Amino acid sequence: MADEPYAIELRGICKTFGSIKANRNINLTLKKGEILALLGENGSGKTTLMNMLSGIYTPDAGSVFINGAKVTISSPEDSAKLGIGMVHQHFKLVENFSCADNIWIGARDKGFLLKKDRYKIIEDMASEFGFEIDPRKLVSMMSVSEKQTLEILKVLYYGASVIILDEPTAVLTVQETRKLFDVLRRMKESGHSVIIITHKLNEVMEISDRVAVLRKGEYIDTVVTSETTEKKLTELMVGRKIELNINRPAPNKTKPLLEIRNLTVLNDEGSVAVDDLRFYIRGGEILGVAGIAGSGQKELCEAIAGLRHVERGKIIHKGRNIAGLPPKTIFEAGIAFSFIPEDRLGMGLAPNMSIVDNVILKKYKYGTSPFVDRKSGRVEAEDIVKRYEVVTTSVDAPVRQMSGGNVQKVLLGREINASPNVLITAYPVRGLDINSSYLVYDTLNAQKAKGVGVLFVGEDLDVMMELCDKIMVMCHGRLMGVVRAVNTNKEELGLMMTGALDLVNAKEDKPAGIAVDSALTLEEWEREIEAEDKEVDKND
Amino acid sequence: MTKLHLVRRTGNTLLRRIICYLAAIAISMGIGAILLLSLGINPLDYYSDMLTVGLIGNKYAYKSVEGFLKVFVPLLMVSMALALSFKMRFWNIGGEGEFLIGAMCAAAIAYRCDGMPGPVVLILMCLAAMISSGLVGLAVAFLKCRFNTNETLVTLMMNYIVLYAVKYIGETKAPWNFFLREDSERPLFAKFPDNAIMPGIMIGRFNLLYSVVISVILTVIIYIYLKYTKQGYEIAVVGDSINTARYAGMKVNGIILRTMFISAALIGLAGAFSASASATVSPSMTNNAGWTGIVVAWLSKLSIPGILVAAFLISLLQYGCLAASLSYPEIDQNFADLMQGMILFAVLMSDFLVTFKIVRRKETES
Amino acid sequence: MIDPIELMTLFLFSIIVYSIPLLYGTVGEIMVEKSGSLNLGVEGTMAVGAVIGYIVGCRADSIVAAMAVAFAMAALVGALFAFLTVTLQANQNVTGLTITTFGVAVYFFIGNALGNKWPQFQDSPGFAEGFSVIRIPFLSDIPVIGKVLFSHNIMVYMAVAIAILCWFYLNRTVPGLRLRAIGENPAAADSLGVKVALNKYIHIMVGSGIMGLGGLYMGLNMGGTFEGSNCWINGYGWIAIALVIFVNWSPAMAVAGTFVFGFFNTLRMYNGALASTFPEVLGWLDDIPAQFFSALPFIITLLVLIIDSLRKNKRSGQPKAIGLNYYREDR
Repeated sequence: MADEPYAIELRGICKTFGSIKANRNINLTLKKGEILALLGENGSGKTTLMNMLSGIYTPDAGSVFINGAKVTISSPEDSAKLGIGMVHQHFKLVENFSCADNIWIGARDKGFLLKKDRYKIIEDMASEFGFEIDPRKLVSMMSVSEKQTLEILKVLYYGASVIILDEPTAVLTVQETRKLFDVLRRMKESGHSVIIITHKLNEVMEISDRVAVLRKGEYIDTVVTSETTEKKLTELMVGRKIELNINRPAPNKTKPLLEIRNLTVLNDEGSVAVDDLRFYIRGGEILGVAGIAGSGQKELCEAIAGLRHVERGKIIHKGRNIAGLPPKTIFEAGIAFSFIPEDRLGMGLAPNMSIVDNVILKKYKYGTSPFVDRKSGRVEAEDIVKRYEVVTTSVDAPVRQMSGGNVQKVLLGREINASPNVLITAYPVRGLDINSSYLVYDTLNAQKAKGVGVLFVGEDLDVMMELCDKIMVMCHGRLMGVVRAVNTNKEELGLMMTGALDLVNAKEDKPAGIAVDSALTLEEWEREIEAEDKEVDKND
Repeated sequence: MTKLHLVRRTGNTLLRRIICYLAAIAISMGIGAILLLSLGINPLDYYSDMLTVGLIGNKYAYKSVEGFLKVFVPLLMVSMALALSFKMRFWNIGGEGEFLIGAMCAAAIAYRCDGMPGPVVLILMCLAAMISSGLVGLAVAFLKCRFNTNETLVTLMMNYIVLYAVKYIGETKAPWNFFLREDSERPLFAKFPDNAIMPGIMIGRFNLLYSVVISVILTVIIYIYLKYTKQGYEIAVVGDSINTARYAGMKVNGIILRTMFISAALIGLAGAFSASASATVSPSMTNNAGWTGIVVAWLSKLSIPGILVAAFLISLLQYGCLAASLSYPEIDQNFADLMQGMILFAVLMSDFLVTFKIVRRKETES
Repeated sequence: MIDPIELMTLFLFSIIVYSIPLLYGTVGEIMVEKSGSLNLGVEGTMAVGAVIGYIVGCRADSIVAAMAVAFAMAALVGALFAFLTVTLQANQNVTGLTITTFGVAVYFFIGNALGNKWPQFQDSPGFAEGFSVIRIPFLSDIPVIGKVLFSHNIMVYMAVAIAILCWFYLNRTVPGLRLRAIGENPAAADSLGVKVALNKYIHIMVGSGIMGLGGLYMGLNMGGTFEGSNCWINGYGWIAIALVIFVNWSPAMAVAGTFVFGFFNTLRMYNGALASTFPEVLGWLDDIPAQFFSALPFIITLLVLIIDSLRKNKRSGQPKAIGLNYYREDR
């Protein structure tokens, strides 16, 4: 087989964005009919590299060979002609078009008129590949998994022989992931080559034939999956043998700081995102929140921080109900909140403003002077830059110009500087390299040691099991149970996340999420909830 | 083989920007010169007339300065006010309408408060203009905040509704209509009584109107407001990221409402100044300041010092053409619009050279 | 005393005459907006097409030449808009407003420069002939309706034909689907190999060209006389932008929508005659000021805008990506 040319071969590809070198001298090969996993941490340049294959970006240097012939890809059209199709992480679909119309946008040989037979053609073709999809359904009415199916269908329809999937499982449930992998295997059997971008090692081991590893924009190596282990891959990915053990000092617990009962919160679309949830955090412990993406984590965090309306329920902070109070009051009560959204810049930072201006964001209003106090802000900004090793040209540079990891350090630094007693942090290591991640873990542990109650919403179960004292699992906004990190394993957590295992009433003497030494006595709780129910009745 | 493609520039671009803008102005004047030549006019003579606005060799030079200021002051104020809302990414393009509302409300006070002491009348006029215009701005902002109504299109429609309302008042003879001259058969807007006319400080024969002085002070205040105050900071955060502003505990809707009120009120004040300075009102009194202000605010990238420069240059062009039309009757005010259009096109093109750079793609041979 | 039937016929006939330029402008702007560009330069684009088309038409003594040039010159202005906003990524609002200032200034510059040499419509018999009424056989003989609907010049029929063609193109053809996709989500279209920039250029230019025809029609309707103070277009470009919203971005709806707006406009001119002919029924028309009718299109559009934003679960025809420039490598 050595003589058969590669489906794709990349040589010496480079791409720079401003001062960031996203790809440096990358070499990569893809065999015909194989599934190649492209592995690397966030920010290692995987997506950038694949975007150059799909014609979204143009490489600054380097060459691309398809089936042994040198080609130039300067637009998505070129890429499609060469038989490359990409399913992007953020779907590229027109929301108010039907499924068939979304595919038809790229039609070239379908004549001038828009004929009704397109629905039939798409339906036939979908069932040929074993998909079930309604060609007339509007994208805006589709679930995430349906949208992804449509994206794959789109790529297949245009005769792609190479299919690139950018983190396809990030938004899927376990069952949906399994279905996707079946599809990928079928595609492989029919002679397609697949590149799957991911940073989930178990998935790499399960689905791929070979694994190519990138690190910080550089190509490291390609290995055959059956000849490697997760541990070896991790080493390739992070570059050195890592101490997988995250430090976990013994908690020095206090009474419950924050107690949440019967909490119900709606999402932006108006459906229930957090459903009758209850839990509590003590000072000096880290409580992890696990769940599949979109299980209500975001809404929960926002509700605690006062950014989202609480439909029903109590949030008792040091004996005071803070549900419904304005965000400023909650922040001043000592509840800090750092949420790293997917695009990293969406919430919490003003991207076009300087580090100084971002550091003062939450306390610009202090004092009676009509002027903003930038002097102390500058001192604080310089302190954060120094303490967390933020790489930036100056504290006056817009945060937009910094890389994602540095942006996050500024955000977290600001929240911790507010010396909170409850720290809510969601995805704080999203997109950070391993060193920065450990810096964050250390910082959280330092807060814990100071007696702060930390709510850690995370993605990586391994990390949560190492770092957190207890883990609360949510599924579709409902509590599935709270477990001690040392007593659980990934399988159990996984079952709970998918709703297959409910441990809420596992212990007869103590239902999950209710503290024995609650800040309020049982009667007080009953009175509180009764009062609220009356309030609700009155409003109805 | 090399291929060209675009890359966004990073880093400091101020010097490059200034050079590009100067080149853009030069190119536009070059094209203007060709047009002038085609009409048989010596462009050098014309431009020197235009740029000196008839100051040189004119015994009424002070009149030219006063005339220039009548164009410059409203444009400066409107541009700054628009910049306030644009900074928030609120596309208030209703400058024309807000200007007229302010002017008409000031006029109503002027006609009705005959006999009151001058300063009182003037202050009442300014207040009436600011409140009326500000309330309209508030209404637009309310629609945006409450129902997410497209503010660009709402303010655009509003401009014309106000314009026709003013025309109606100006063209309808009726007993209730105290805006018109009583002694004229034809409907004409009346002249303001003396106590409603903007006074000034006499410097020789040159009358430096108080409205000019106030607008200069306002420029400084707005500069400080945007750059150093908490409210200015809030505007910047809301403009940069609404989610972040909410997260920081800012009352975003309150900020939008407040800023739009201030923005519209300032434009209304410009209308009152303009009416008081010319002692009457008319549907065309805006002199397109509402439209040109958008261009000025944009040209200067919403920076107050930039607006000062851009408003000065555009006013020079506008008033210069007016002054030059005395010696060149075949060229009217529209030549200024033509030049203004070309300058903006050239500047937009040079903007591109400031924000992007064209690089050749290198291909390494294997 | 005017014969009531004759007056009504004339009134309805005039509605169509005054709606047509709006129809051109509206359909043109719909084509532009469907590509995701909000072009506030309709007024200027119409002015440039009108003045140059008219002058060339007189010189060449042909309405075909006039229309071709009006279309081409307006399309050229559209190309300028496209170059600035698509290629150079300039802000669409500012560019559009400048196009209006610039276009109207070009109109006056050319008019002033020609002065006495301004060509007269009557001196070009071929041109005038081409713009004369074409009576559609049989249909035009129907009383009232025949005069109102089937006795117009070529440009009136053309406007309706263009509107229907554009509707068909947008909704029933593959390139139309592609165009709508670009207006909704250019990144999605781009990833399927649709040439976003090229498509934007083409449709902005075609749309602008259609606006130019509307401008030419307005000039011819006024007998082609240049007035130093008033531009032919006289705010119709702005009404067209309002109309696009009123008809929810549908060229087919635009036919009906322009007649609604044309109705108010004509009412302004006929309110006196109508009131005196039908004093019992329409006497109140006399009390309504002309300026109110002029403002009515804007008032209605404002209300449409507000009501539309009050509605929940709306299916608006407004392209999602309108007003936003597309730069593929943005991140």
